[in-house]
Amino acid sequence: MLARRLITVFAAALSAFGQARTQLDVESFEKVWSTVRDKHWQVKPGGLDWQAIHDEYRPRVEKASSRDEARAVIQEMIGRLGQSHFAIIPATVYSVLDDEAEGPGTTGIDARVLDGHAVVTSVDPGSPAEKQGVRPGWQIERTHGIDLEPLIKQARSNPAIHELQLTRAVLARLSGPVGGTLDAAFLDASGMTVNVTLGLTMPRGTLSAFGNLPAQYVWFESQRMGQTEYIRFNLFLDLPRVMASFQQAVESCKTCDGLIIDLRGNPGGIGGMAMGMAGFLVDKPNQRLGTMYLRDSTLKFVVNPRANVFFGPVAVLVDGCSASTSEIFAGGLKDLGRARVFGTRTAAAALPSAFERLPNGDGFQYAVANYISEGGQPLEGLGVTPDLVVELTRPALLAGHDAVVDAAMSWIRSQKKP
Amino acid sequence: MNRRVSILLLALLAAAGAGFAADPLPSAESILDRYVQVTGGKQAYEKRKTEIAHGTVEFPALGIKGSMTRYAAQPDKYYYTVEIAAIGKMETGVNGAVAWENSAILGPRLKSGVERAEAIREGNMNATVNWRKLYPKVENAGIELIDGEECFKIIMTPDEGQPVIGYYQKKSGLQVKLSTVASTQMGDIPVEMIASEYKNFGGILEPAKVTQKAGPQEFTMTLDRVEVNPMIPPETFALPDEVRKLVDKAAAK
Repeated sequence: MLARRLITVFAAALSAFGQARTQLDVESFEKVWSTVRDKHWQVKPGGLDWQAIHDEYRPRVEKASSRDEARAVIQEMIGRLGQSHFAIIPATVYSVLDDEAEGPGTTGIDARVLDGHAVVTSVDPGSPAEKQGVRPGWQIERTHGIDLEPLIKQARSNPAIHELQLTRAVLARLSGPVGGTLDAAFLDASGMTVNVTLGLTMPRGTLSAFGNLPAQYVWFESQRMGQTEYIRFNLFLDLPRVMASFQQAVESCKTCDGLIIDLRGNPGGIGGMAMGMAGFLVDKPNQRLGTMYLRDSTLKFVVNPRANVFFGPVAVLVDGCSASTSEIFAGGLKDLGRARVFGTRTAAAALPSAFERLPNGDGFQYAVANYISEGGQPLEGLGVTPDLVVELTRPALLAGHDAVVDAAMSWIRSQKKP
Repeated sequence: MNRRVSILLLALLAAAGAGFAADPLPSAESILDRYVQVTGGKQAYEKRKTEIAHGTVEFPALGIKGSMTRYAAQPDKYYYTVEIAAIGKMETGVNGAVAWENSAILGPRLKSGVERAEAIREGNMNATVNWRKLYPKVENAGIELIDGEECFKIIMTPDEGQPVIGYYQKKSGLQVKLSTVASTQMGDIPVEMIASEYKNFGGILEPAKVTQKAGPQEFTMTLDRVEVNPMIPPETFALPDEVRKLVDKAAAK
């Protein structure tokens, strides 16, 4: 008798859990559906009767017997849009993408995932990592005692997750509070495991605020490499300083044989800066980098040629972590025939596509605008494909070579008039 | 961005005389004339030869705020500057037939076509009494409720550019809303402005607060004080060097 009552209670509890799950999935469905209704750049998203879509799919979510089934139904619904950058990411995968650093402290390491492994791609001069002898090309095995490979494998299992998110998740695991330390294990050039404790210092650059956005460290560097000017900056932010530095760098190399603008790892920022910088490189008026389509307006990204324009060859370097404004800049100059793009395909996130956590814990990615580069290609979901695809490799990094910079330099030299 | 502020001010000033009848619909001309009357009268406007207006600009959604200063001189000189720490300085100006803008983000440029025509209309300090010249066709399109108040919907059509629609309160005669499609370098952008908190600035009532929605952005401009008939050095309205270089470059071609 007692056992039966216990089973009844247990069954009731299970039933309650099922109802709670269903309710969360229905709420998640409503969140996804209404977000598309309210934020999609087309009043009629994808040309569809969005209310009819709601009425068709909601009963299926209500009847779904598991979260996986509910998720599949929601994914199918947004798949009807036929547009990229609308995706549902399972909670289990979403959680490994947590890119919330525990603090701003950095080791000075930049890293990318190459062939399924986190690899050091650069080490800031004077940083704790450099002082401890960490070198580009070293493979990062573990941080804070946790292996990185399972994280990478799990993230890669979902096609909606792009390199930018994965890299951010990896870099977050290389950070912590300023003044703290980070235990890390690397594979060095000889394949030996190197365990080091790295100090965490202030990030490179100047802390820059832009309204409500969290303040971020912005750095800009330019240097002469032979007769070529090399420019790199980490964000299209800190507008007055970065624009002035860019202008100064470009105007200082009137006699350079070329210009390299390295946007690898640059996730974007203020979109207008792409137009402003392009004005130093494009002489013909009324040229556009592309066009952004929002729900109530269409914005042409027009370039204003400056009084002193650089006429020499321009190489723009990109990778899967070049996003948003970086893509607008690189894609636009490529389409205008003003720059040759080197590296790997960009993040395909030219727009303010956003990620939100749904009531059931899953992640929801959606885009709120469409951006068509001047060549007629939407950047969102497709990204900028380089003119010359050059991938970083661990052996080249270990040998002290940045293959992408090398390729750009080689092209610039080939453009030299005899 | 700041151009539309001027469109509003232009329309706010665009009227002359009085003569308002309740029923049937009063003429658009009488509504615009009444507006001049209730905001200070033709004489008050004509007495103003120069002005410097000071205020702030705020983008609440972005959390960005800055200062703005507007210089104007009869008949057609205008210089407007907005300074926001995170963005830098933005300037726009009209000096006779030349309309230009310059910003830290986009650089200098000369305006042309419809955009130039709109800027020149905005740069006309005598727009108040010259509205008939600026908008050859005006029409009262009826009554609409704005915030529960009956307003006359006046469509003002210029020779060049999109019509400007002003909404004037039936009760007070004040303009409370304005909408148009602005011609900008980035394309035609729908603009809607809400004017409120009218205050007397040197004998003329002006909205101390204007909230503007232009495309995806919404921002608020607050007018703090207006210097009436100050001495403004002529170089204030001169083309900045960067813009002058563009003019020279275009001429050299």
